[in-house]
Amino acid sequence: MRRLWVALCLAPVLAGGAAGCGSDAEETRSATTVRVLVRDINIRPVGVDCAGTGPYTHFHNRAPFRVEDGGGATLAEGALSGGRSVPAFEEDLEVAKVPTYCEFRMPVQLARRDAYRLVVDGRAPIPLTANDSEGPALVAVVPS
Amino acid sequence: MRIGVRLAALALAAALAATGCSAAEEEPARSEPVAGGVAALPRPAPTGLALRPVPAGVPAAPAVAGRLTDGSAVELARLWADRPVVLVFFSSWCAACEQRQDALSQLARDHADRVVFVGVAGEDKPADVQRFLRAHRVDYPVLLDDDGRVALSYAVREPPAVVLVGRGGKLLRGWTGGVDASTLDARLRELVLAG
Repeated sequence: MRRLWVALCLAPVLAGGAAGCGSDAEETRSATTVRVLVRDINIRPVGVDCAGTGPYTHFHNRAPFRVEDGGGATLAEGALSGGRSVPAFEEDLEVAKVPTYCEFRMPVQLARRDAYRLVVDGRAPIPLTANDSEGPALVAVVPS
Repeated sequence: MRIGVRLAALALAAALAATGCSAAEEEPARSEPVAGGVAALPRPAPTGLALRPVPAGVPAAPAVAGRLTDGSAVELARLWADRPVVLVFFSSWCAACEQRQDALSQLARDHADRVVFVGVAGEDKPADVQRFLRAHRVDYPVLLDDDGRVALSYAVREPPAVVLVGRGGKLLRGWTGGVDASTLDARLRELVLAG
């Protein structure tokens, strides 16, 4: 009976470990939001689904991302959800479509580190900066 | 003991399923024909197809060529030689594309042979495109625009977008952000289809 109990308890740990889905389970993680502002200055309505344009087409719904520490170790990973268009500047142009940026928000659970970087679709890491103006968040602006 | 081992195996399987770590993505069966390939190219235009004249001074559409989903070559100029063409720029991950695609697929069927719809998939993976085409019953040919050249030619910066090209290759209308099927249908009747 004791063996059965051990096996049942170990199963989820083995499963997660085998798939690389959750190491460092004992490390404290806290909820935060990764926000990326892709400054592609595309003409769109404000507040609609968007993807990065021009040199930033790899920023799109379902694109793989990971958050890593300064040394390149992966702390969290997932897929982007769709971006949302935000005005590039605060001025009423009185037209339906205006210059916009595309903003992505991803909720993640992160262990505390001195530095964080975001990698989207295997591209070059983008530095993330802590910003608590809208709750705990790590933010990046592309291009920085 | 045996029961214990079985229970442990069950627990392990359940845990694997819960993490999603063992769920390999299902690929389309190999025996299925490739959606959007050469078999989706239109039949010859109906004889006596009644079309509206193209207004003077309309710019020419970029006559690009590319590869369909099955690798076969296609030239847009050959498609618009005898009838209008609608280019539907999309990506399988694009939510707005997904919302409108069923109605666009039906519109393409409604106008089959009179108007040629051509999908242009950009920033996408062939397997994901196939899933999208099957899920939304896309019967028309689809270009895989891997290098974004077709989108660039038409100044399409992100999906969805729709372009209407008249017979002979004249650029009649373009919709950045896409267009719903009923609006497109109305424009087809107003701009290209006569009778």
